[in-house]
Amino acid sequence: MSCQLIATEVSFAYERDKCVLNGVEATIQDGSVTGIVGPNGSGKSTFLRILAGLLHPDAGSVHLNDRALRSYSGRERARSIAFLPQSISPAFSLSVFEVVCLGRYPHSSAWGSLSAQDVAVASRALVQTQTDALRHRDFGSLSGGERQRVLLASILAQEPRLLLLDEPTSALDIHHQVEVMALLRHLCRDGYGIALVTHDLNLAARFCDRVVLLGATHCIVADGRPEDVLTGPLLSEAYGSTIRVGQHPFAPAPFVMATLPEGDGS
Amino acid sequence: MRPRMLGAVLLLCASVAMGFASLVIGTENIELGTVVQEWRAGRPVADSPALSVLFNQRLPRTLAALLGGAGLALAGGVFQALLRNPLATPYTLGIASAGAFGAWIAFILSDAGWFVSGVLGIPSVQVFAFLFAGADVLLVYMLAARKEHSSPAVLLLAGVTMGMLANSGIMLTRYLAAPDRLVAMDRWLMGGVDVLGYRPVWTLTLGVAPCALVLLAQAGKLDQFGFSGELAAGRGVNIKWLQILTFSVGSLMTAIIVSVIGPVGFIGLIVPHAVRALTGPRHYLLLALSLVAGGGFLCFCDIIARKILPGETPIGIVTTLIGGPFFLYLLMRRKFTDWDA
Repeated sequence: MSCQLIATEVSFAYERDKCVLNGVEATIQDGSVTGIVGPNGSGKSTFLRILAGLLHPDAGSVHLNDRALRSYSGRERARSIAFLPQSISPAFSLSVFEVVCLGRYPHSSAWGSLSAQDVAVASRALVQTQTDALRHRDFGSLSGGERQRVLLASILAQEPRLLLLDEPTSALDIHHQVEVMALLRHLCRDGYGIALVTHDLNLAARFCDRVVLLGATHCIVADGRPEDVLTGPLLSEAYGSTIRVGQHPFAPAPFVMATLPEGDGS
Repeated sequence: MRPRMLGAVLLLCASVAMGFASLVIGTENIELGTVVQEWRAGRPVADSPALSVLFNQRLPRTLAALLGGAGLALAGGVFQALLRNPLATPYTLGIASAGAFGAWIAFILSDAGWFVSGVLGIPSVQVFAFLFAGADVLLVYMLAARKEHSSPAVLLLAGVTMGMLANSGIMLTRYLAAPDRLVAMDRWLMGGVDVLGYRPVWTLTLGVAPCALVLLAQAGKLDQFGFSGELAAGRGVNIKWLQILTFSVGSLMTAIIVSVIGPVGFIGLIVPHAVRALTGPRHYLLLALSLVAGGGFLCFCDIIARKILPGETPIGIVTTLIGGPFFLYLLMRRKFTDWDA
């Protein structure tokens, strides 16, 4: 059975009269990677939280498999949708395996003891993210790239269908960025649906099947295939500055560059 | 996993041993043989000095120490997770100071001839201590409450400020009180499990047992919250509800304990840390063993207070005298990497 998360006409404000999202729509489908992009303050992260069920829209609706997301209990929702926030600062240090086992919470018994199945699922998540060798390491001692893969393992241990990731590559160097994105593509081939917020338009262009472009006015500027959305005119409209798009030097994807206000001669 | 379980079992045995020791050791040691003999012979408690001391003095006192210590240690472990802060204790949010302030007001009022008998047979000092501690908790939460969930930092700041206000209240009452009353007031501040009869034990049992069960049941959620509040929310933990529940139940339990045995310090800080060194940061084992170790530790301190130190040394002094150096030793020996905060 396919899994679908549909947001319709979603509006949201943290404070009265300070609109963060205005009639935003998106469909997150299993087996595809959706990038949510847009300028700072356009409401991308808020939109992701609404899709994850952590915030409730003031107007509009979010449906998971034709049922209102709000009608799901927290654990029930978490068995379909996993959410990974941008930054994690643990109060105390756990081993990598313990971190991954935390992901079993939506499936665990009232007293939270781990079953043999929980351990098996957690071990599989470690293998899926190539972090098996780290399982006895202290989570606090990991490098940024390792940390991100372990966190991915911990949300995979939830056995969700959809992964909602807030800037999963923002703290990583260029090599680890591509590595994580390749891992996400791989998971997508395994049937997971992925939505990620990112500032890196070129990563979105190269690794996403669909791109949702939010503008500074908190509305959707465009939604579609990367080559249709990541165009000079649309990006310039969304970001309010001149943005030029060419062809990626060696991948079949658009290549985005911002230009200086007075033009940089390129 | 194995050494952790072994340590847990050893800790349990040590606490049970402390409980038994607390029954027989005292100003007059009780011979277990005599107790069994007289019990078998069916002698009435009133006719047997050994049985009388055991049932009328040692047992209620030991139970009070076990329950009070257990509750304070558990509350400490919960508050450290709730506030995401290794320095947190059950008293961090001002409960002890507010309770003490309430107790002092009760002293002054009873001197003025009011509420001498207390309410429903509960001494007025206890009633006032509880009411003031409860009011402190409510105020702190209302100050820190936000739409989605409360920031631990705001809770902490509000609690510390309320504690300071209560302390200045104590200073004011001290200043206004008759000098000869200061001794009794100070004595209350130092805490004590020298309870009379079983009524305080019942108060403690009814206060600690249900609260402890509720708090233990939150262990898995506290693990999630300690790792990351947002990640936990994504996994279906209702963070706001978790905060309200652990905060109010932990505070209620602490307020009841403080009202009965006084603001006995240090247990809520040191016991969870010492246990964490043994069990690691997962809360199921940590909270359950803090409960056990807290009770055992307060019994141990009580034995020291009445047998080794002169007279009836207030237990609050002993907990710090013993706990302080031990805690410093733990700090020196271990790299405190458990806390990244």
